[in-house]
Amino acid sequence: MELKICHLYPEVLNLYGDRGNIRCLTKRLSWRGIDCSVARVGIGDQTDLSQFDLFFIGGGQDFEQEVLLGDLKGGKGDAIRGAVEDGKTFLCICGGYQMMGHYYETYDGVKCEFLGAVDFYTVGGKTRMIDNYVFRLGEESGGSTVVGFENHSGKTYLGEGVKPLGTVLAGNGNNGEDRTEGVRYRNVFGSYSHGPILPKNPEFADFLLTTALERRYGNAQLEPLADGFEKTAHDAVMNHVLNHEVKDA
Amino acid sequence: MSKPNTVQTVLSVASCKLTRWALRVTHRGGTALPGKVARVFAKDILEAVSSGMEIIVVTGTNGKTTTSRMLEHALTSSGHPCLANKSGANLLSGVTAELTCNADWLGKPKSHYAVIECDEGALKQVVPLIHPKVIVVTNLFRDQLDRYGEVMHTADAIRSGIKKVPEAVLCLNADDSLVSSLAFDVPNRVVYYGLDTPYGDQKDVEISDAKYCIRCGKEYRYHYHTYAHLGGFCCDSCGYERHETQTAVTKVKRIAPDGSDVTLRTGSVEQDVHIGLPAIYNVYNAVAAVAAYTAFGLPKEEILSSLSDVHSSFGRMETFDLGGVRVQMILVKNPAGCNQALQYLAGMEEDFKVVFALNDRTADGHDISWIWDADFEQVTTDPHVQEVLVTGDRAEDMQLRLKYGDCSEDRIHLEKDQGKILEQIRRSTLPVYILPNYTSMLSLRKLLSEATGGSEFWK
Ligand SMILES: [Zn+2]
Repeated sequence: MELKICHLYPEVLNLYGDRGNIRCLTKRLSWRGIDCSVARVGIGDQTDLSQFDLFFIGGGQDFEQEVLLGDLKGGKGDAIRGAVEDGKTFLCICGGYQMMGHYYETYDGVKCEFLGAVDFYTVGGKTRMIDNYVFRLGEESGGSTVVGFENHSGKTYLGEGVKPLGTVLAGNGNNGEDRTEGVRYRNVFGSYSHGPILPKNPEFADFLLTTALERRYGNAQLEPLADGFEKTAHDAVMNHVLNHEVKDA
Repeated sequence: MSKPNTVQTVLSVASCKLTRWALRVTHRGGTALPGKVARVFAKDILEAVSSGMEIIVVTGTNGKTTTSRMLEHALTSSGHPCLANKSGANLLSGVTAELTCNADWLGKPKSHYAVIECDEGALKQVVPLIHPKVIVVTNLFRDQLDRYGEVMHTADAIRSGIKKVPEAVLCLNADDSLVSSLAFDVPNRVVYYGLDTPYGDQKDVEISDAKYCIRCGKEYRYHYHTYAHLGGFCCDSCGYERHETQTAVTKVKRIAPDGSDVTLRTGSVEQDVHIGLPAIYNVYNAVAAVAAYTAFGLPKEEILSSLSDVHSSFGRMETFDLGGVRVQMILVKNPAGCNQALQYLAGMEEDFKVVFALNDRTADGHDISWIWDADFEQVTTDPHVQEVLVTGDRAEDMQLRLKYGDCSEDRIHLEKDQGKILEQIRRSTLPVYILPNYTSMLSLRKLLSEATGGSEFWK
């Protein structure tokens, strides 16, 4: 078996330890003896996107997002929407998550048209939602708890009938209002959680890998790994967040 | 801004000194509280107590403390007594405390010169009150993301500080496209410094904090690299490019654990200089300090000669002798600085142990995800590394990062108790390198100072 991973726009969307997500995916495949390759596809690259099984899109700086909107319009946008409808697996974080929706409207009313690959939109908020947070994945995404770090002022609202990725247990999530976090549409997994999201949440990482392998091979059973360090790190943040432990000197 | 009257000034100065005295006799190292108390009695006491002083302000992501120490060392060893905020008190309250305690009871400053390290976000509050003669900006990297959002916001924060003091001379890192863009649209006199020469392997950096032109968005082209996004950048689209330097390193001759030898040019005069600290980022700190010192109007010979015996300070390459064990502490708080420290360790020709200490308190930034952007692999796979210890509030995250950085699990030991870490270090037969982030450095350093009979950091 092998999996072809596409890291989209790594040169602009690379904030907040996103590299850790790619590393987590490739390590967890190689520890199981599954081949994988990672292609970095950036602005101006004409790579055929239909060859990939799993796409990763990370977070970015506001300034740089403008640079890539032009590239999306130049054909990559259609390819991405095509891959989404084709059931390919996407992990989209923060800015990369917002980009999958219809638009981003800034706090002072400037509207930025995005991909519209999934039915949701984002509006700029007054305050930044920053902190460690915890959410529970929906059953269709494995149902485990996820710990992460959110840092966004944009508030995301899902369209009618669109499923969130999970339910917020502590923190803000999509908008700080409806307790939803992220989005799950077909095999698109969008989230505000960087940190990065995958290493501390190995069940979610394996769920993504299984989804991508099943799409390609029909079925996939991943061998369990020794996730002691992963679980320790997950539980430490979980306990910290849920207990609101005060530790500042 | 209203000037405090005499009564307010006396009350403010007295309360500040009393608070600091009280904190010291109770053995607490608070650096912010005295300044907060002083501002209760006279909100703009900082302006009164710095009036008439000549001040250099140092800001930027990395190298603030070391550059400040170099400047302070040059001033004092050349017979110019000066004040400096040593203890990392670089927000408004900390700077206020330092300068207020330096004043006499009527608020008159006791020393004429000051070197003030200032947090990037606090610059706009601090500089309008202290009217610095020179502002040095070292570099801009991603750091403490949850406090400032993103590196562009940090640049904007510095810019709004600069706009309040058009009379200050700016010393800007010509090699950093973000830093040198601070000269756009400001009337200030600007002096540029940098490395006129390539350094390192010249590979394109995979993760860059400034890949695209800040003016037009086109990708920069580099004539040469030095480290991270620093180097000879230019934009083919709008013409923004590295500015010519007035003070520059023209040749890096040797970089060793005990220091560096470089050729330094000021104006058109070149001379060989020894810098008593290792690593390329200290070469940058040195050239920044030389540029600032001369912009300050003092003779360059004074700083050039003092660089050779500049001391490491406050957790930056600081060495301790713990019962015969050589312990070196290297503060790391963002990927760029961490990679430099890791590269330094990877160059060691001896066996050693390493301690990674990671906290996520307010002064550190609550977001610790930057550890995934630093290349720990260069140390975890180094055969010279005999043991890896992890500690701190987020030790579990560091442990996991190392696992994904190819470190075998049985080589990693997690110990949350820093006292026990110290005991393990004491029993070591090998030198130990500690790489802590900010608040974990403070506590480890305190333990080490106590154990080795050194003085506390705020003295
Ligand atoms: Zn340009």
